[in-house]
Amino acid sequence: MTSLDITFLATGAVTIAAALLAVTTRQLVHSALWLVLSLGGLAGCYLVLGAELVALVQVLVYVGAVVVLVIFALMLTRAPIGPSAEHSTSRLHRALAAVLGAGVSALLLAVLLPLAGREAVARTPVDSSALAGDLFGTWVWPFEAISLLLLSALIGAFSVSRLAGGQTGGPS
Amino acid sequence: MSALELILRAASSLAMLLVLPLLVGQTEHKVMAHMQGRLGPMYAGAYHGWAQLVADGVKFVQKEDLVPAAADKRVFRLAPMLAMVPYLLALAAIPLHPGYAAVEAPASLVFVMAATSIGVLGTLMAGWASANKYALIGALRSAAQLLAYELPMILAVASVALAAGTLSLGGIVEAWSPWWLLWQLPGAFVFLTAAVAELQRPPFDMPIADSEIVFGPYTEYTGLRFALFLLSEYAGIVLFSLLFAVLFLGGWRGPLDDWLGWAWTFGKGFLIALILIWLRVSWPRLREDQLQRLAWLWLIPIALLQLAITAVGVVL
Amino acid sequence: MSERKGIVPGLVKGLATTARTLTRHTQVEEYPHHRPELPARTRGVIALLAENCTSCMLCARECPDWCIYIDAHKETVPATTPGGRDRQRNVLDRFAIDYSLCMYCGICVEVCPFDALFWSPQFEYAELDIRDLLHEKDRLESWVESVPVPPAPDPGAAEVPEVASQRAPARGPRVVGGGAARPARPARPAPSAPPPGDGEG
Repeated sequence: MTSLDITFLATGAVTIAAALLAVTTRQLVHSALWLVLSLGGLAGCYLVLGAELVALVQVLVYVGAVVVLVIFALMLTRAPIGPSAEHSTSRLHRALAAVLGAGVSALLLAVLLPLAGREAVARTPVDSSALAGDLFGTWVWPFEAISLLLLSALIGAFSVSRLAGGQTGGPS
Repeated sequence: MSALELILRAASSLAMLLVLPLLVGQTEHKVMAHMQGRLGPMYAGAYHGWAQLVADGVKFVQKEDLVPAAADKRVFRLAPMLAMVPYLLALAAIPLHPGYAAVEAPASLVFVMAATSIGVLGTLMAGWASANKYALIGALRSAAQLLAYELPMILAVASVALAAGTLSLGGIVEAWSPWWLLWQLPGAFVFLTAAVAELQRPPFDMPIADSEIVFGPYTEYTGLRFALFLLSEYAGIVLFSLLFAVLFLGGWRGPLDDWLGWAWTFGKGFLIALILIWLRVSWPRLREDQLQRLAWLWLIPIALLQLAITAVGVVL
Repeated sequence: MSERKGIVPGLVKGLATTARTLTRHTQVEEYPHHRPELPARTRGVIALLAENCTSCMLCARECPDWCIYIDAHKETVPATTPGGRDRQRNVLDRFAIDYSLCMYCGICVEVCPFDALFWSPQFEYAELDIRDLLHEKDRLESWVESVPVPPAPDPGAAEVPEVASQRAPARGPRVVGGGAARPARPARPAPSAPPPGDGEG
């Protein structure tokens, strides 16, 4: 095992553990914070594999923006300090979710494991200009489709909030 | 890179983190005092109170470390570190001298932006875990403000990266030319405004507005943990000042930059830090709605316009 | 847009004001290390010149909050000439001002006909216990050293009333129309002591 292997395994283990904790913890805000660690661990995995830019963008977007948004939303609720039973799901739901999660994981593993092979983790530095070339060359249509999707979601959210505001509080 | 060099680089960036914020803090004490017709600290350290912040540090260390009974204790204790460490990481990536930065990363610009975006979490965790309504309100304001100003800042930074054609801070400084001062002026304005907002300093200090919500997210903190928050605020000033100098003022570029490059970087950064202090003394606090309006209706359009101007300039 | 126009000049003005203040001298006096230069008429503490006091009680009676305590007894002064009459005089036993009650109105100083009370700019007599603010006679007398020489009147100012009254022509008998001069009355004796203190306060 090379040191790169060990680093990769360690970051991977941290990611998985944090992800499990994020799902199982009874405290809402802790869940969001474990999510931070999980996403950060994922960025660490990218970093080990040499995809520096992807790792940094992962941190910038997911930790810096998405989780902040999640925590912001949680603060607007009555998320209590300490475990909260009222928000936890029933045993049946939990069992179903576990089965579903295990199923998805098994499917993914079945597809990915044969591809993985047994050779050591290799660091293949990705040049950011090459990445940009791929993104805006080969993958430009999916990229644009995603941006359209986000735009429509934005407009939808905006109109929903305006509509609700118009019904309750009159035009503002 | 030998182990010795590694240790040396780490130690120097740590020293930078510990010394420069004190320097900025002392400057703020004195400049703010004189702008208000006062003298500022005069006694600690005998000569014009130069040791005031050291004395403050000693005081903070001696204070009792209180954790509120209702607080989420682990999160509460962790928050100051999480606010502090990202600035340490980001400071390490700033190039100070031709070919010298404590950490040389190819995409150091993205690295710095990513690191600063983590620092926000410390504030949010502090505000939520304190189990205090003022802290919670402060954290809410903080989150809203940081979400609003992150975008224009990234756009302004993207404009510079576009102009230089690289994501490396060192590369940006090398590509810089004096004519950027005019070309990137709107971007510089947006970046400076967004930086003040990210630092939550007056006039954008709504989240910690001490006359309204005590001290916002930091209300319940005492002793060393409080000092860490303060240190991270001033480290943030250092970071954003140096970053502004590197992005918009050409970092180490200047006469004799083979020898004096580091002095140019620090000099330009110090100038920006002075401007940040000046703004704090001169302007009143923005209200929450004014703050959001400024970000969404002015800064983002200006930043987008800057991107367009930069793109035209690059293509031509 | 118009809103924006209203904001920018204000922001610039704010910056200009602070920058201007930065270049000017500060207003701060570092008090414990540099003594403040107080005007001569500063109302710091009331000093007692006990020799001038006749225990007439005017000050104690005029004091709005009754913070002056005076005890005196009568003493017989034997006649100086054979066959003369013994005289009596008041001897001051206690003169105290309670500075925890005093409101520094200065009425006692104004009302004293014998120039026994003076304002001193000395102000450093804070105490940890409020009862210690009752200054007894010896302490009040100790303030006399810090009483400064009264400043000279401004050029062209009206004469000090005491001086003016001495220089004025003696008043005649009360005749309607202010008629002829009456025989000169002996001038009021000069204050027994020169204004105390040498202004080193």
